[in-house]
Amino acid sequence: MTKIKTFFSTLLKKEGTKTVITSLWCALLGLILGFLLLLFINAKEAAYGMTSVLGNYLIFSNPQDRLNYFGQTLAKTAPLIAMSLSILVCYKAGLFNIGGSGQYSIAVIVITFLGIGANMPWYLTMIVAMIASMLWAMITGALKAFFNVNEVISGIMLNWIALYITNGILSTNSIVWDSPHSEAFTISTTSNSYIPSIGLDKLFANNSIVGLGMILILVVVVIIFILFKKTTLGYELKTTGLNSDAASYAGMNKVKNVLIATAISGALAGLAASLNLQNGFTSWRLSSTPVDIGFQGISSAFLGGLHPIGVIFSSYFIVHISEGGSMITDLGFSPEVASIMTSLIIYLSGFVFFIKELLRRHEIKLEFAKATRGKEGQA
Amino acid sequence: MSETYAIEMLGITKKFGNILANDHIDIRLKKGHILALCGENDAGKSTIMSILFGLFQPDEGVIKKEGVEVKIQNPNDATKLNIGMVHQHFKLVDSFSVLQNIILGDETLKEYPDKPNVFQKAFNFLNKHIFKIIDVKKAREEVNKIIEQYDLQVDLDKKVKDISVEMQQKVEIIKMLYRHNEILIFDEPTAVLTEQEIQDFLTVLTHLKEEGKSIIFISHKLNEVFQVSDEITVIRKGLYIDTLKTSETTKEEVSSLMVGRKVEFISEKEKKTPQEEVLRVEHLSIMDPSSKKKVVNDVSFNVRKGEIVTLAGIDGNGQQEVIYGITGLMKMQSGSIMLDRKDISTLSIRERIKAGISHIPEDRHKHGLVLDYSIYENSILDRYFEKDYSQHLLLKDKNITKYGDELIEKYDIRSSGDGNTLVRGMSGGNQQKIIIGREIERNQDLLIAVQPTRGLDIGAIEGIHELLLKQRENDKAILLVSLELDQVFSLSDRILVMYEGEIVGEFDPHEVDRETLGLYMSGARKDQVNAIKENKHD
Repeated sequence: MTKIKTFFSTLLKKEGTKTVITSLWCALLGLILGFLLLLFINAKEAAYGMTSVLGNYLIFSNPQDRLNYFGQTLAKTAPLIAMSLSILVCYKAGLFNIGGSGQYSIAVIVITFLGIGANMPWYLTMIVAMIASMLWAMITGALKAFFNVNEVISGIMLNWIALYITNGILSTNSIVWDSPHSEAFTISTTSNSYIPSIGLDKLFANNSIVGLGMILILVVVVIIFILFKKTTLGYELKTTGLNSDAASYAGMNKVKNVLIATAISGALAGLAASLNLQNGFTSWRLSSTPVDIGFQGISSAFLGGLHPIGVIFSSYFIVHISEGGSMITDLGFSPEVASIMTSLIIYLSGFVFFIKELLRRHEIKLEFAKATRGKEGQA
Repeated sequence: MSETYAIEMLGITKKFGNILANDHIDIRLKKGHILALCGENDAGKSTIMSILFGLFQPDEGVIKKEGVEVKIQNPNDATKLNIGMVHQHFKLVDSFSVLQNIILGDETLKEYPDKPNVFQKAFNFLNKHIFKIIDVKKAREEVNKIIEQYDLQVDLDKKVKDISVEMQQKVEIIKMLYRHNEILIFDEPTAVLTEQEIQDFLTVLTHLKEEGKSIIFISHKLNEVFQVSDEITVIRKGLYIDTLKTSETTKEEVSSLMVGRKVEFISEKEKKTPQEEVLRVEHLSIMDPSSKKKVVNDVSFNVRKGEIVTLAGIDGNGQQEVIYGITGLMKMQSGSIMLDRKDISTLSIRERIKAGISHIPEDRHKHGLVLDYSIYENSILDRYFEKDYSQHLLLKDKNITKYGDELIEKYDIRSSGDGNTLVRGMSGGNQQKIIIGREIERNQDLLIAVQPTRGLDIGAIEGIHELLLKQRENDKAILLVSLELDQVFSLSDRILVMYEGEIVGEFDPHEVDRETLGLYMSGARKDQVNAIKENKHD
């Protein structure tokens, strides 16, 4: 009995366990507030609305439909994981990558031109898109490294610049349009740059958007995990992020580390765009605001406890409720309600830090009380 | 009692945890006098002044103003009692103008003074309670009056960030005068000033005294203290020592009271003849990038194998910057640094580490450790790039764990768990042991230790002294920076005293006493040193 007790108490003390607990708290808090919102708008349908948000594909009675939508949710999770990793890498190095949207948009230009215009193979399109985003992100990195410009400010400005560049270029080049005046750009499943399904579609009721991308992103997760766990580069990035004075003391090159961190996260944002657009399902439309995914990535990274593995689950959760949310329009809720509700949940997920800090303070208080008592006992 | 006291602080005692910062300290400031408060670092000077200004509450003791007991709960109470303080680090808003800074918190509101009519009365009421429109013109007039009266020339419309440190200090003084403060406290006001600016400041101080202000002047620079003060109160390690009339005492007496006459214990060191030179610093000068003040000025010295050379001095006299210059954390303006007869002046920090510098930094939380790293991760902070700990970009976890365990074992590093414990939750002494162990184990020719025992208890201090002496036995060259005379005497083979960025004296610890060292540290002997220097040039 005591064995089990000590096992649990040591488990509870572990940093990882704490992160998981706080993340679950945040998700729950978001869900409760979302439910209150539904109650406020339409009390009658609220319970059913909530079920469909939480249930997503599970509300379908036909198993084939379930599988199909499950596959869709999974496929849409992959790009969000990439974006979350992009935020995570920068954050570990002490930088806040709010420019994910802009980096994503730059990749879109490459994908539409190489994928739709030139019909290049999918891997080539993907790699060039990642390089383009990487270079774009390194503008922020260079400004930070050489002139100490705050990366949040330059990131936000570059988001808008990238958006207008993308809109400007795509709206005037009709070769990449789906149809005249459609203002939408979709890679078809027959295109060379469509990421192959490699038979995975068969597992999900022939849902062709499920494919190699999902395996690819898992590989990337493992690479990032190893980067921070096992490599000297990861050690340097973490040290710079946690204590940049100690990094200088140890002779680490801050300029180099900032550039590398932004480069990696830019490439990951480009990968997000590539996984999203090259699955033959999602279209790019000219937009007047920077894409959501750049900001959802921030929530997802924090909700995932800034851990590469945790990010898989948090990204899935966010996509799951977003997909579920898009179904409640059938229940008489306006589409806006669905997006308010899901964004409420998503942004409350960002509260991880706040709750973690509360927990930490509580723990310090306890430890302090214990320590002082211990000392008095000795005396 | 014929003389009235502006302020009396009687039997003030203040504890922080187990540390007795002030132990029954008495301070009596006569009206219209300048009282100098002298003591070494950590003697408790700032604590007692913070109590007077209401930042701390005393555990025991009373404060009397003009013979009447008062309670000072917070700085607002102090202001109401006309007590003003200029802190060592100025409390000014950089992006505000001088005038805005002066009136900040005590703004003159617009008002119709003589027999206002009904509307004007209403306006006065509303402005006083709601709008609070400031009467800038009137405020400016008042400030200008003060400037003229006390001859404190400043440009009221310049922004604080655009004016010099000396000017900022004047702004602080005007701020106090604008609030009609009668009792003025200055916490080490000359630390940030150059020689000429100090003289100007002392003139201002005398001027303020002539105008009837009562002043408490905290300093450990005896030249200044003797130039302006009427009485001197000396405190040492939280204890009240004595109050002397400046005209009836000497610098020597005050200095010996400050450092204490305790028979010091010089640990039994094995006699050693130092061997070849490891570090040679020549004509090193360093400019502080923000204040543009020369913080290190033409410093030359060497450290040989098998000796401990100590840079002694009062905090902030350039010792830290000399170390930053040697390790590369700060850019040097001129001069050269030779390590093992190779010039390392142009190398990067990493290259200097590889060339053979071990560095125990002053601030373990800032430079020495990553608090959110485990003991293992911290144990390789400045050697993770070595072959033993990484290869082909990958860390060798096994070796790192093994090395960390060795450190824990050898240096008796205690934590609540194993080497995976985060350093943040560990005690200061154990944190320091990680750094000291790491740096000693790197086994380099030169070991730099900056205040290696700061904030540690006696047991830990002795352990660290033993470790350093052992390195001396092992023929390492050790450069120590210390603020504590006990430590300086018990460890050093040679003592270099730094004052205002220069080395003002070199001593053998067996041939010098604490009083002399104290005099050099407080700059009292600077004139003589300069004279000797000039003679040498002739």
